[in-house]
Amino acid sequence: MSAILEVKDLSKRFGGLTATKNVSFSLESGELTGILGPNGAGKTTLFNLLTGFIAADSGSVLFEGQELRGLAPHKIVNRGVARTFQLTRPFLGMTVLENVVVACLSPRARDAHDKEARAQELLDHVGLGSKAREPVETLPYGDLRRLEIARALATQPNLLLLDEPFAGLGSSEIEPLAQLIKRLHREQKLTILLIEHKLREFMALVSRVIAIDFGEIIAIAPPAEIVRNPRVIEAYIGKTEAAHASA
Amino acid sequence: MKQLSIVDLSGAIVVVALLALAPVLLNSNYFTGVLTVCVIYAIWAASWDFMSGLTGRENFGHSLFIGAGAYTAGFLATVWYANPWYSLPTAVVVAVAFSLIVGFPTLRLRGPYFALAMLSASAIMQRLCLIFWEYSGGEEGLYGLDPLIQSPLHYYWFVLAILVAAVAILTALAQSHWGLLLRAIRGDEATCQAAGINVTFYKIASLTISAAFAGLGGALYAHYQLQVSPPLFSVVVSITVIIMVYVGGIGSIYGPALGAIMLTLLTELLRTFGEYRLWVYTLTLMLILFFLPNGLIAPLWRRLTERFR
Repeated sequence: MSAILEVKDLSKRFGGLTATKNVSFSLESGELTGILGPNGAGKTTLFNLLTGFIAADSGSVLFEGQELRGLAPHKIVNRGVARTFQLTRPFLGMTVLENVVVACLSPRARDAHDKEARAQELLDHVGLGSKAREPVETLPYGDLRRLEIARALATQPNLLLLDEPFAGLGSSEIEPLAQLIKRLHREQKLTILLIEHKLREFMALVSRVIAIDFGEIIAIAPPAEIVRNPRVIEAYIGKTEAAHASA
Repeated sequence: MKQLSIVDLSGAIVVVALLALAPVLLNSNYFTGVLTVCVIYAIWAASWDFMSGLTGRENFGHSLFIGAGAYTAGFLATVWYANPWYSLPTAVVVAVAFSLIVGFPTLRLRGPYFALAMLSASAIMQRLCLIFWEYSGGEEGLYGLDPLIQSPLHYYWFVLAILVAAVAILTALAQSHWGLLLRAIRGDEATCQAAGINVTFYKIASLTISAAFAGLGGALYAHYQLQVSPPLFSVVVSITVIIMVYVGGIGSIYGPALGAIMLTLLTELLRTFGEYRLWVYTLTLMLILFFLPNGLIAPLWRRLTERFR
């Protein structure tokens, strides 16, 4: 196994607020890693820094040995790093299929000649195949998350970043979505980094956890150890009732 | 992508046939002239709709491209005494150059910068025409252009053929994967970027296509009026085009073209109202946009033909 992503000393300040401070970590190829941290800890900012939606002040992001920092978001996607958004943002006024076709038109997806067929294939894969012709407005929240994943997969990523995929979902929707993420990881050997709040599902899914507080990494460990880490407990778990439930 | 339905195609053939035959049946040079102006406005409205209607980036200075095309024709005729047929391709090139100059710095940004930049660029060009009056003819403009085709009826048919080609090309593009991307940009730019799409490239490219047809229409207008003057660059022209698009049904290409024809005809018919003309015109517009915020023509056509699809 080799490192697919190496983040070194990544920092970002917004005025007086340090959103990300000297963050360094690396992801092994094929790993399923989670980012844990209380609200406002800087998890989404870190995603935005990795994917070029926000420009970092200093540090470096090496993906497959190449620097991503300074590249425009669409270029980073075409290098093989895809992301989903915490708040799903489908293209309204289009069908479910058309939403995925858009991503099939990216330069990285040029091998797929029949864009509609490719999009349909991806929708089948995430379990939305039967809803391809429906207007995207009719999809419930859980399906929108699947659509986000299908759109991200259309760009044929080597690294997939999922921003709170379970947020706002009911328990009946969480389990099948977790199964989908596991399947992507297992069958396609996809390296996945995900942010999550829902501790129980999160801990069952990932093999390693990066814990963040106030923009800094406070611990990197397997899930079983992270819940016993005193700094993590202090920053996050100690303050929530979920601690006992998940530990 | 979407296939052109038989219903749409027959509708288009009927409308074009009516437009082509109208001046023959009415047999008046005045009316042929009115229709020529109608059709040129239709080219402008359809070209505005392709960029702004699809991407949602409203261009408040389409007159920049219209004026650039028209003045190109004017300069070629009065300074270089060029063959008038050179006007059309040259006007396209000049309008595209203008679109790149304004588009490159402003279409990378979000927010109202593009709309404001287009508005100011057209206003600046109108001022420059007055400041450099020695070259541009000032208020009087340039005159003495040669007509492309002597017979007004034949020229009208020529302009109509260009409109049909323009609407066909722009509709084909709008219904292709390109059009899908432009509509996606209107939806959410960040999601487009996350889908690996170079949003800036598509916005600039669609602006150049829009400018090309607007400039072509400008040159056709110049060779109809046989003169060009600074009001071609005015905000009034841009706003008129935008109103035509909204009345026709934004984003549909054919709707704005027909909206332009309808409103230009309406302006002419209202001449009988004398000084109350503007009142009636404005009131009609307000009623249409109040009761039909999605426009009149394209939504109406969709509703009429729903059962045949």
